[in-house]
Parts: sequence; structure tokens; C-alpha cells
Amino acid sequence: MHELTFAFVGAGGDGAVTAGDILAGVCASQGLHVIKTEAYGPQIRGGESSSTVRVSMTPIYAQADAVDVLVVFSWADFARFKDEMLLAADAVIFHESGDAPPEEMSTRTCHPVAFAKLAKEVGAPKSKNVIAVGLVTARFGLPLDVTRHAISRRFARKAEAVIDANLRAFDCGVTEEQTLPRGGKEPLTYASSEPRLLMSGNEASAFAAIHAGCRFFAGYPITPSSEILHFLSEWLPKIGGSSLQTEDELSAIGAVIGASFAGTKAMTATSGPGLSLMSELLGLSSMAEVPVVIVNVQRGGPSTGLPTASEQSDLFHAVYGSHGDTPRVVIACSDVESSFHATVDAFNIAEEYQVPVIVMSDQSIAQRRETITAGVLEHEVYERRVATPDELHEYRRYRETADGVSPMSVPGISGGMYQTNGLEHDEQGRPNSSFAVHEAMNAKRFRKLAAIADRYRMFDRFGATRPDVGILCWGSTTGVVREALARMSDGDRVGVFAPRMLAPLPTRDLQAFIDSCASLLVVEVSYSAQFTQHLRTQVDLPRATTTVYSRSGGKTLAASEVEAELRRIFVNRSQEVLV
Amino acid sequence: MSCSPYSPNDYKTDLKPVWCPGCGDFGVLNSVYRALADLHCEPQETVVVSGIGCSSRLPGYVETYGVNSLHGRALPIATGVKLARPNLTVLALGGDGDGIAIGGNHFMHAARRNVDIAYFMMDNEIYGLTKGQAAPTTPAGDKTKSTIYGNPEVSVDPCALAISFGATWVGRAFSGDVKGTTELMKQAISHHGFAFLNILSPCVTWRGDDQFKELRAKFRAMPADHDRADRNAALGLTNENENLTAGILYEIQRPTLVDEMMEIRDRAIGQAPPPGRDDILRTFAPAM
Repeated sequence: MHELTFAFVGAGGDGAVTAGDILAGVCASQGLHVIKTEAYGPQIRGGESSSTVRVSMTPIYAQADAVDVLVVFSWADFARFKDEMLLAADAVIFHESGDAPPEEMSTRTCHPVAFAKLAKEVGAPKSKNVIAVGLVTARFGLPLDVTRHAISRRFARKAEAVIDANLRAFDCGVTEEQTLPRGGKEPLTYASSEPRLLMSGNEASAFAAIHAGCRFFAGYPITPSSEILHFLSEWLPKIGGSSLQTEDELSAIGAVIGASFAGTKAMTATSGPGLSLMSELLGLSSMAEVPVVIVNVQRGGPSTGLPTASEQSDLFHAVYGSHGDTPRVVIACSDVESSFHATVDAFNIAEEYQVPVIVMSDQSIAQRRETITAGVLEHEVYERRVATPDELHEYRRYRETADGVSPMSVPGISGGMYQTNGLEHDEQGRPNSSFAVHEAMNAKRFRKLAAIADRYRMFDRFGATRPDVGILCWGSTTGVVREALARMSDGDRVGVFAPRMLAPLPTRDLQAFIDSCASLLVVEVSYSAQFTQHLRTQVDLPRATTTVYSRSGGKTLAASEVEAELRRIFVNRSQEVLV
Repeated sequence: MSCSPYSPNDYKTDLKPVWCPGCGDFGVLNSVYRALADLHCEPQETVVVSGIGCSSRLPGYVETYGVNSLHGRALPIATGVKLARPNLTVLALGGDGDGIAIGGNHFMHAARRNVDIAYFMMDNEIYGLTKGQAAPTTPAGDKTKSTIYGNPEVSVDPCALAISFGATWVGRAFSGDVKGTTELMKQAISHHGFAFLNILSPCVTWRGDDQFKELRAKFRAMPADHDRADRNAALGLTNENENLTAGILYEIQRPTLVDEMMEIRDRAIGQAPPPGRDDILRTFAPAM
């Protein structure tokens, strides 16, 4: 096998997540490609948890549709996940021997293992999970010595006795494996290469902020974006920056506007409910032309919605949310690596064009860990254009320019004082509510978007040059589409266009793509098809030949869903040809 | 302070205030000019941040860096300015509705954090800009445009809130007394920490021509024996029935938010050189 997906499921304390971490780390260290996700029940502590690790010789872009190797410490806990955790037809299951499998597992390859009893016998009662790691390591061709070493490192901060107990548990799992019947999934065959890093989308965004020169972060805790707050509160103070946990999201973006006004690159991060609160000050950032970066990690909505599940339903809010005509830039990330690039791009655009930029991530990207190499985490950084001495002569903060970008001064510059305003204002920043000034200033602020659209043609385009079916998608859906095409024998009939800039959309490239396709399929995780509707406002999407596949979040989009939709279109098209 | 390199006039912009004739905020503005001049505040090193309301127009009239932001949001923005550039002198100001109603949550937390800024609340006990609705400071029973049959809510004393929230300097002033207000502003700006100055500033348009006279009659000087480090004594000078006591009600010293941030940087890294890109990336390598 060149790829396998492992899953560990248990109650809190069973160590399902730790087992996944160890396995993911070992595979990353061997240079394999890894995507690791976690899922939890609603409990804050304890309760059921699961960890899924997809491992592959070749690049992967999404979670697998189905699990190949499943370790179950408790079937009751598995029941919570079974709707979201599909099993491959030939999946191999190792389960606690004291816990009989439910009826629906009767046709599957189930190996009872006395995890709890064995753990007690080797004097490591808390290490059922490490026994499981030993077992799957031995059975599926992963390096025993490397895994053994990884376990000792994992528990390196614990007492010597704890390390020894876990190593005994690991060895026990390796031995136990030999007693189990053969058959089912074949071991992984791979050639090891340079070790890879394991990073989540949230961590990639946070690292990108530091890379881009961000030295101020303010945020309010919210799932699933809090890891950005955690990361930056650890690292910013080490590099001369500050991180502030505010009383709410209004205050978070307010503080970011203040820091940015004072000349420091600044960012906040949130999720849908927080973005709702921020839309008020987003307007100030746009009106006063103060650069800000907002990372919005989408979850299921509206209202409190599904805080731990992914969805692509904040699109309207990001692109249109605000009173007034409010230019802003919205950039999407589609995986962990692009979370890095999107965030640096966001800083570059915000600083150069003095606009608010929203980076759209979602739970599935933000909280999964993915292998990545340090080499790809490079991205050119641009700085704010601060007013020159010439421009400071009879300084006008909001001077009309061709691209709408006016020279910005920051406190400390003696000739550059200005009083900015959320009120409509003239070139000097003085309040002015005349039609002429309002119209001219709206035009100036929107000219920046035109300039950005011209300079940044941000989209992913892959697949057929003249597609039979053209897929339009964005964000995390892009990776799933890529996976679907890769496994279809006739995937070469399909071409994909995924805009990475959602506002302003790359309309010319988008329209050219649409016009080049015989038919179109829009794929998105939004019940009301926000992406489709957004496209319709900007480009000509032919109704007769466009199919929309949109559904709610709450369940990971599977490549099989995209494949099924394409099959349906292929059949319809062949019938049309016959008629 | 005749040796100041700046005169109050140096801080005037060419913008004319939009306030009604007789508005108390003119007195506040004059006090701001004088305080900045007396303290030799470099205009380019000074940032004045406000929210929305009549009084929040004030930054437009002061030749420093300024932000006339959104309703209630002066303090978060001022906090960001101060944390990003601790050497700047940062003033936040606005009205009572701005600071206590829509911005009340920020007031609590800016005070609690002891952000080193001076916050001047121009308190006219009414919403002026929106033309005469009740504010959290409007006395119970008062008839306003939104309380036709009398205000059903009890009012709050902003100074009592500030002390309770953890402000380290709390004062009360009357805008009709420009000299006294100027002196209190200077002390507030000089204070190391969150300094809150409640300035009773009459609204002749919506509180009537007599508000000036009534306030002047109520104001009394700070008792000579007041211990401003005594929190209970300070609270005793809030929610007064007959009087309004002018002066510094409360003053203590504790580390500011910037002090704490510097301390955190020290704790995070000590004498070690700052980490580079590779040091951060190394933490993502699987432990092998």
C-alpha cells in the first residue's frame, strides 16, 4: 500500500489523540505526507475523542473518505463518530476484547485485543494507546526503532518509570501483533526521505503573521481559531511584540486598528460570531484606511451553530458584511501551506493598500495537522508606504491618487499629523458630508480594489485546459476536488478554477475559465450556496449548464461526493449527445 | 509654565468646533490646549482618540495625531496605540453615553488593565448629538426626548465605576472652571497608569440654560483631609446627593499594562537572543 488511514477512538483518558500524534510524528519524520485530524464529543474534558491519521507516499490534499485501520477502545464512544467515520470495505479493526462489536460490524475484519488487561500486565495501565501504537506500527510496516524512540521522547518530561512503562507497552503491542491472524490491509511500502514538519492551519497563519512582521495581536478566544491567539501569545513577546486578550471582538479589532494607526503591523483572528461583532470596526478600518488583517476561521452557523465543525458559510459576511459601501479584501486558504501564504499576502495587501483584509480559513484546515517543509514557508514581504518628505509638504492624508492609495503618516512624524475619522472626510481628513466629497472618496477607496485585482490575480487552476466539466470551488473544498479528480480514470475531462481572492474576484480569469467549459459544477459547503450566489453577482454563470453541489457543514466533504456529482453530469452529458 | 516651547494656540487646528454656542465642551477643549502646552507634549508624539458624540469631535480640533473613531470604541483603539508605541502620550475622550452605555465594557477593562492613558469623559448627562435622549448619567425622573414620562432608570456616577473597575487615578472636574480642569488634566496625563477624569460639561441645548448655574452651585472643593489613596474614602465622594466634589478622588500606583507586557517579554526570553525563524519552525518538527 502507498497510503493508509489510521483512526483511534476512545473515551477521555484512553489516549486516542496521543496515539494519533505519535503515529503522525513518526510518519512525518520518515518524510511521508500526513494529514491528522481530531474530533471530540461535546464534553470539555473526558468524553469520547478520536484521532485520524492519513499517511501517504505521494502528496495528499484532504482527509481520506474512509478509514483503513481502526483502533476502538470502546464501541460506545465509536458510536458518536460512526456517521462521520466511514470504514473502507477491507478495513482492519482492532478493538478492546472485553467490548463486543455491534451487529453492523459482524461482516468486518475485527481483531479483539485485550488492551486493558495487557496494559495492566506490563505495569502500564494508562498506556492502552501505546500498545495500540506498537501493534499497528508492527503490522503496517512502520519503523519500530523510530517509533520506540518517538515514544521515549513523547514522555521525556515524565519520570523515568513512566517512559519505561510506555516502552514496555509499545513492545507488548509489537509482540501481540504476531499472535493476531494475518489478512486485510497490506503494510505500507515507502522509501523514507527528509523529515517533514507537522503544522496546523492556525499555526501556519500565526507563523505567517510573524514572518510578515506582525508585532501586535489582539483577540478574543473562540473555537476554532484560538490556537492563533495561543501561538502568538507565546511567540510575540519573544520577538519584541505584544499579544492582548481583549474583552470581546469589538475591542480586539479596535486595538488592532489602534496599533496599526500607530505604525505597527497588527492582526486579529476569530470565527463567525466574532466576525459579526468586528463588522462595525471593519467599516472604520475601510473608511479611515487603516491596514488590518483578520483571520476568520469558519465554523457551522448561524448563531453559535456548530462550533467545532467546518462550513463555508461566512462568505457573504466576509465579502459584504458592513453598513455602507465598504471596500475590503477577502482571501481564501485551501490547506495548511496556503494558510501561510494567504496570511502573508493579507499583510502585504493591507499594508500597501491601507485596507482591511480578511483571511478565510475553516475548521477543517485550521485544526488539522499537515506535513509541510520549511522551504515552502517563504513569501516576500512588503512594507507600508509611509509618506515621504515631499508628500509631507502640505500633507494631505487622504490625497487623491491614481490607485487610491494616499501617503500614510504615523505618529512620531512631525509634519504628518492628521486627525482621522469614521465620518466621511476630505483629503485632509476633516469631516465633510457633501455629496461631492462622499462620491469622490468612495471612488478613491474603491480604486484601491481595482488596483489590487489588477496586481494580484489570485486563483488555483488545474486539470483539463478545455474542460468538459469545469469545477468552481474555493477554500478547503479545493483539496477535496483535487483528490476526487486524482482517483477518477476520466478525471482529465475536468478542469478546476478556485479563486484564492474572493473580493475582489479575479473576474476576467474567472469568466475566461467559465467560457472555456462545456458545463460547470460549483462545489461548496454552504446550504444556501453563498459562493454560487457571489459568483453570479460578478460573472456570467450560464444557468442551463451549471450544476450546484452545495450542502451544510457538520460533516467533512468527501471526494466521493464530488466524484458522484461528476458521474451524474457525465451521464447526463452523454445522454444529451445521444439525443 | 512660561518656559514651554508651545503655547495653547499651537495645538489648534483650523477646524471650527461644531458645538452649540455656550456648550461646556469649549471649556474642555481650552483645558486640553493648555494642559498639552503646559506639559510640553510634542504634538507629533501625542495621539488623541475619541468615540462618537458631540464631545468626540474634539480630536479634530487638536493639532496632534487623532482618531475620531466609532461610538464607544475610543478605549480599545487607544489601548492598541499605547501598546504598539508605549512612548506616545495617549488621550482618550468622549461623552458619558459613549463611555458608559455603548462603551461600558471597554471602560471596565481599560481601567482594570491599567492602560497608561488619560481618559476624559465629557459628561453632560444627556445624548446631545442624537438630540436629547436619556443617558446612563441622566438623573432618575428627568424628562427627556426618550423618557417623556420621566426617566425610569437610576443614574450612575462615572467616578464610582472607574474606582470599582480598577482605575489608578480618578478625578472630577467642572468644564466651567477651565483653570481647575486644566490642572486636573495635567495630573491625569502625568499619572503612570489609567487616569479617569469625569468632566461635568453642560449641554445648554438639551439640559437647559440653567445646567451651568446648577452645576457650579453643586461643585465644592476637595476636603483638605481627603486621603486619595483610600479607596473607601474615594468612593465616599461618589454618588453625592447635594454636592459634586472637584479634584483627585483616588490615586494609587501599580504596574501598567505596558509595564506588564515588558515584564512578560522578560519572562518569555530573559537575556537570550530573540528566536529566529528556524527556532520557531523547529518546534514543529516531530520529536524524534
